[in-house]
Amino acid sequence: MGETNYLELRLGDVLARIAASDQSPGGGSAAALTVAVAAGLVAMVARCSHGSWSEGPGVAAQALAIQERVVPLADTDARAWDEALTALRNAGDTDSGGDFELERKLELAAAVPLEIAQLGADVAALAALAGERCEGAYHADAAAAAALAAGGARAAAHLVRANLAVRDGDERLRRAHVSEQAALDAAERALRLIR
Amino acid sequence: MAELSSLTDAGLVQRCRAGDDEAWNALVERFSRYVYAISTQGFRLSGPDAEDVFQEVFTRVYTRLHTLRNDAAIRPWIAQLTRRVCIDTVAARKREQPTGEPIGEEVEDVLQELDEAFAVREALAGLPDHCQEMLDRFFTRDESYRTISSELDLPMGTIASRIARCLTRLRDTLEGRSSPSEGSRE
Repeated sequence: MGETNYLELRLGDVLARIAASDQSPGGGSAAALTVAVAAGLVAMVARCSHGSWSEGPGVAAQALAIQERVVPLADTDARAWDEALTALRNAGDTDSGGDFELERKLELAAAVPLEIAQLGADVAALAALAGERCEGAYHADAAAAAALAAGGARAAAHLVRANLAVRDGDERLRRAHVSEQAALDAAERALRLIR
Repeated sequence: MAELSSLTDAGLVQRCRAGDDEAWNALVERFSRYVYAISTQGFRLSGPDAEDVFQEVFTRVYTRLHTLRNDAAIRPWIAQLTRRVCIDTVAARKREQPTGEPIGEEVEDVLQELDEAFAVREALAGLPDHCQEMLDRFFTRDESYRTISSELDLPMGTIASRIARCLTRLRDTLEGRSSPSEGSRE
């Protein structure tokens, strides 16, 4: 499976790839792209509020930096998941490295969504901040960004929990939960502002 | 060396003109990454060629420093010298192995990006330590707000705002910087 730069694909092609019968790109890639879209919305809100909010440009810069980090994870996740599936199919085959190789692939497949969840939490926090400080006309967009980021974080945290290599008491479970909860709390704050 | 590293570019040049050997070492150290970046990233020179450019550029700086009219303009002057040496090197390589690839706008774009990157680096060095730390952790080390909060023992809800304020200071520093307009008499 070759590398894919999602920034170079047309939106229709991205959606078609997600909808195709292949198992990747799947939920992790979709979560990464959702967080990236949310980060873009935060940047828009922060930039539009520049006149009344001196920190706006700095918040936009942070949102774009996170977006730059999270987009490549859509491809990284798809590739990691693909390799984990291949290893799962070959489980028990001694020529392919056996259980050790499977464990290694599953570890990687868990690490990527964990990072996506963390970035989703950060975007949700930025969106909540933007919602509190931006001009009134953009409150709804900030809340939408927070909800999307929280959705991405939640989906990614779910994928960490579903990973076969992650067992009860695993530190990654705790971190995924912390990120998910932080993102949901931030989204709740942002949504409360427009109710 | 610590004292020299805090000197302005103009101050360092003045010390070099006065024949201070340590100042020369500090000047090479201050601009070595810049020269190396121009040759490797801007002109895509390989290791040995980049080394040759490095040697030639600093030899010219040493022998021609007296031609620099504005001491504060040492950086654009070194950039100009480096470009000339790189172009000569590329031209020499083409005579040996013609590739047909022109030195075009792409190089200029890369050099402009490098200039901006080094300007940001300098401005960053002038910010308070806590700002340097915040911006480095977030933008260079890609740390999350939670990690920064935990490492610096700061409330997590304040991290994004603190980074934004530091970015504002960085922007103010960059916009307030004077751009040396005079180069050398060359």
